[in-house]
Amino acid sequence: MNGPTLLIVEDEEPARRALADYLERRGYEVYPASTAHEAIRLWDAHRADAVLLDLGLPDLDGVDVIRRIRREATTPIIILSARGDERDKIAGLEAGADDYLTKPFAMDELNARIRAVLRRAGGAGADPAGCLRLGPIELDATRREVRVAGGLVRLTPREYELLKVMLSNQGRVLTKARLLRAVWGLAYAGESAYLHVYVNRLRRKLSAAAPTGSLEGLIETEPGIGYRVADHESRSLRTEPRLES
Amino acid sequence: MIAPTPLGTSIESMHIALAGRRLPDMARTTRVIASIAGALLAASVAIALLASLGVTHAAPVYLLAVVAIGMRWGTLPAVATSVAAFLAYDFLFVQPLYTFTINSPEEWLNLLLLLAVAVAIGRLVAIQADHAEQVAQRAREAQALFGISRALAETRTVEEAAPMVLERLAAATAMDRIWFGLGPTPADEKTIADTAPREPLPIAAWQVVLQRSPGDEPARWARMHLATAMVRRKTGRATVHRVRVEASGETLGSVWALRARDEREPNRAETRILSAAADQLGQAVVRDRADQERTMAEIARRSEALKTALLDSVSHDLRTPLATIRAAAGSMLDESVAWTAADRREAFQAIDAEAERMGRLVRNLLDLSRIEGGALQPELEPCDLDDLVQQVVKRLRATTNKNVHVDLPDSLPPVLADQLYLSQVLANLIENGIRHGGDTINVTARQLKDGPVEVTVEDDGAGVPRAALPHLFEKFYQAGPPGEGKRRGMGIGMTVVEGLTRAMRGEVSAGRSDLGGLRVNVRLQPAFVPEEAAVPDPRGDRAEAEAGLPGTATR
Repeated sequence: MNGPTLLIVEDEEPARRALADYLERRGYEVYPASTAHEAIRLWDAHRADAVLLDLGLPDLDGVDVIRRIRREATTPIIILSARGDERDKIAGLEAGADDYLTKPFAMDELNARIRAVLRRAGGAGADPAGCLRLGPIELDATRREVRVAGGLVRLTPREYELLKVMLSNQGRVLTKARLLRAVWGLAYAGESAYLHVYVNRLRRKLSAAAPTGSLEGLIETEPGIGYRVADHESRSLRTEPRLES
Repeated sequence: MIAPTPLGTSIESMHIALAGRRLPDMARTTRVIASIAGALLAASVAIALLASLGVTHAAPVYLLAVVAIGMRWGTLPAVATSVAAFLAYDFLFVQPLYTFTINSPEEWLNLLLLLAVAVAIGRLVAIQADHAEQVAQRAREAQALFGISRALAETRTVEEAAPMVLERLAAATAMDRIWFGLGPTPADEKTIADTAPREPLPIAAWQVVLQRSPGDEPARWARMHLATAMVRRKTGRATVHRVRVEASGETLGSVWALRARDEREPNRAETRILSAAADQLGQAVVRDRADQERTMAEIARRSEALKTALLDSVSHDLRTPLATIRAAAGSMLDESVAWTAADRREAFQAIDAEAERMGRLVRNLLDLSRIEGGALQPELEPCDLDDLVQQVVKRLRATTNKNVHVDLPDSLPPVLADQLYLSQVLANLIENGIRHGGDTINVTARQLKDGPVEVTVEDDGAGVPRAALPHLFEKFYQAGPPGEGKRRGMGIGMTVVEGLTRAMRGEVSAGRSDLGGLRVNVRLQPAFVPEEAAVPDPRGDRAEAEAGLPGTATR
């Protein structure tokens, strides 16, 4: 098999088997693990292209697995977790995970997310000239300019920074704390009201400049977590999210 | 035990006790004698002055001295003053002067009259003073007891009231430390409150227990020697007083009072206050227990009823989708039937939809248990209604062919909410509309004059009978006949809506929609959002020029 390799860490046997079966049929090479230790062993042996990780493992905290992997690689990690575990999800994302899916999820949604993180890991986003693109949005980092569908959009420095962080993380979920740290600095990590103001304004300005008057789906609120930045391809490929997502 | 002081009266010792300090008896006697001597000297000088002015029979001036002593020191000193005045007058002003000899019988009569009047006045004055002091003392006592009753009445539990009660007790008695323990025996007691909570409980040489007898007989203190020589060395003369807290013959605990410096028995006033406080605490403990038992019984009763309703509801609502899933999966597994691709697709769609439905029920059950368990910890932050409503509606539109209209004004301020909870509230309301409504569900919002933002979800279905509206948010309430026609909900969706909304400091109400169906209003607080100027932008001006043009706020 030549497809991308996936490390699947899930302690529930039926769920692990269903995931493995589905993803193997989709052309991935799968390494299933049922404990954190097994996951780390498989990770050391195979260095998969992406990791699907259930946070509730019998032996170690899933977040420890994320830290362990992040010490060595930027391999995309998608958290699989039950609803109501928002704290765990945030901890996982803060530790370096790229995305999360709330159980129960639909398989096609999982597939779309895996493809998105693999694309990002493949270096999608910035072109050699230092331009970040997402849909009609184009951010030129050398000239500090933002254009939507070719037209210049006036942004304040803070809005520009925010957009830049978001466009640099396409296909990922960014926690509120992470965005605040990246744009405002460490001292503002708890000031989610600032973020709210700025994201809203950014959305308004960008939407107003778009030919359709809308940028629906490019910057999505992930309730309780933060924001998800779409990537161009995933937006067109993505099926409707399930009710439970 | 202390010996009664020679001049002491009960009033006297009460006074000292309440003042919180106790003078040694010798010092007191000296002071009494000094004040008698002073009063007599002053009176004698006054009489001498009057005599030099030609006033002959000025002996009644001594009566003033008697009155003063009687008011200040009581009966016995007043009588002593009378006798001394008698002698002084005889000695100083009766011929022959400076002897105690009296010549004329007339002088004898005068002097005896002076003595008799002085004794009578002294006694009257002292009784008067006694009485006034007693009234004041009773007033203080009553005030202390009133304070204790109030502390017990205004609090919900004895634990809450106890510190205040002890504070009152400490103020009204000359005790160095008071604490209150609950338990059948001193060894089992758990200290509920203590006026010196950080210090270890003392080991005293003596324990004095108040023996209370039924009826009006005064209570007595019975001394028990507890101490070993070692303890005695450690604590000196400290005495611990114990007043049992009892109710209907059962010992519930004790009020303990420590007097560190002397071994004087608590006086009558202190005893009265301590024993009244112990009685009140006892009543309060009994009241607490009764409350607790009632609450437990009520909880047991309710949870029994809830369990039954929950089981009914869960078994029905989870079985229905399960039945569909098993039927569809079973069909697909049956190899004797040649299913077309369309058949298979339909079966799998049914499985998917029913699994989703079960997921929703489980999610609501989970929320319900959190609401019931008081485990909700909303993270309130500014939320864009438009954003959340669109997200929820987008998800739900995929599951229905009904029309979900959204009409939110642009001018809506952000609301203070937990994004997850608000999503759930909106989803439950819209799902409810989809399940019970006609063809149309409307989602609108407006800002009310006084600030809150009201989100309205309404449908054009059959609605809910007016009489049923008040029960809409009750757990397991089903509008309309159960189990008939359309699929039943679990009856907890609306309860979850209410619970989550309340957790976000909002309100929810239901009424009849102009569309004909049910209308539910969710009222939320508007969020305070910092002015743009107030949001720090320290990298400011330099970058502004590079990033584009200044003055970009386009609100």
